[in-house]
Amino acid sequence: MSSAHGQGPKAPHAFFQHHYNTVEQQAGAAKLGMWVFLATEILMFSGLFLAYFIIRILYPEMVLGSHELLSKTMGGVNTVVLLFSSFTMAMAVRSAQVGDTPGIIRNLIMTIGCACIFMVVKYFEYTGKFAHGIFPGKYFDYGRAAAYAAEHGHELVGMPHIFFGIYFTMTGLHGVHVAVGIGVLVWIMLRAKKGHFGPQYYSPVENVGLYWHIVDLVWIFLFPLLYLVK
Amino acid sequence: MTTKTFLHGKPIDDVIECHEHVSPVSLYVKVLLSLFVLTGLTYAVSFADLGPASLWVAMIVAFGKATLVAMFFMHLKYDDRYHGFVFLSTIIFVAIFFLFPIFDLNSRARLNEEQGTFFRVNQAGDWNEAQRTNKGQVEAEAKAAAEAAKDAAKAPADAKAVAPAKP
Repeated sequence: MSSAHGQGPKAPHAFFQHHYNTVEQQAGAAKLGMWVFLATEILMFSGLFLAYFIIRILYPEMVLGSHELLSKTMGGVNTVVLLFSSFTMAMAVRSAQVGDTPGIIRNLIMTIGCACIFMVVKYFEYTGKFAHGIFPGKYFDYGRAAAYAAEHGHELVGMPHIFFGIYFTMTGLHGVHVAVGIGVLVWIMLRAKKGHFGPQYYSPVENVGLYWHIVDLVWIFLFPLLYLVK
Repeated sequence: MTTKTFLHGKPIDDVIECHEHVSPVSLYVKVLLSLFVLTGLTYAVSFADLGPASLWVAMIVAFGKATLVAMFFMHLKYDDRYHGFVFLSTIIFVAIFFLFPIFDLNSRARLNEEQGTFFRVNQAGDWNEAQRTNKGQVEAEAKAAAEAAKDAAKAPADAKAVAPAKP
């Protein structure tokens, strides 16, 4: 496999900034900055994950009773969609590395498409919950939610509004990240159309890719914890 | 003056080198298929009744998937190890963050039992019902009221019992 690494220093490109010594230094600085940002993202989500574990330890019956109301199928479809989008994102970065601009655009369009499918499924999940009085926190309608649970042969136990508060906060914050992801993916797709990226310069594609993979990583943990675990 | 710089234990000339690695398409396809298989596995396992083990199984599979994404899609396997260091140190701090509250929550019940200091409303009875009707509080209030009434009824009797002895 041909690799730019080991072929000597790269020639300066159009986006090479004067305060860097070499093209590689600029790319390395951008990537390290992205990793530090991703670390803060992980730490932010970790607070919500800990909140989930705390309510799970304190009120196991409540978590088990409430999570039955989430659709495993919808969650599963979204997992497959996000994993596939991570693959197309990795392929977009690869296309940039080998200088295949149409490949970058094609893979980014597929990634954006998957992100949109994810949001549409999420929309149906949320409205499906809202229709039965399942709102976060104090807006939770116990009577309607209990009737809905009974219809499906489940029983609400304890304080399900706390579980759904965690559910809406975690998936909501994750959804915000997907929405922001769609924005930055469109931005780099437009730049790719202008022919900005190639083996010499693809930091934005790579860093947006890292961000997109972190969004996927968070979902990899959210899906089993919220939808599947007994 | 020049200093010798090492990367991954080997002396290097260019300290500001950025590592790149172009993975073959077949590798990405294999990783994607493995991720799908692992997703199917967690999905299938969620229908089996594993009891408390289900959380561990789900978490181990999720860590496996996360490792695949981080190593191959995020290139950590081929990247400058410093990025892996940033990522892993984050995970370590998250682990520390999780460890203490979870240790506390899992061990405090035993300690409370030992010292008899703390009661959970849902230890006995219908937690669901207790929540909906505030049963615990209602019961506690009723009990307190009954005791107060008993004391009130007892008080004149006591007063009578004590009174004759006084003069």
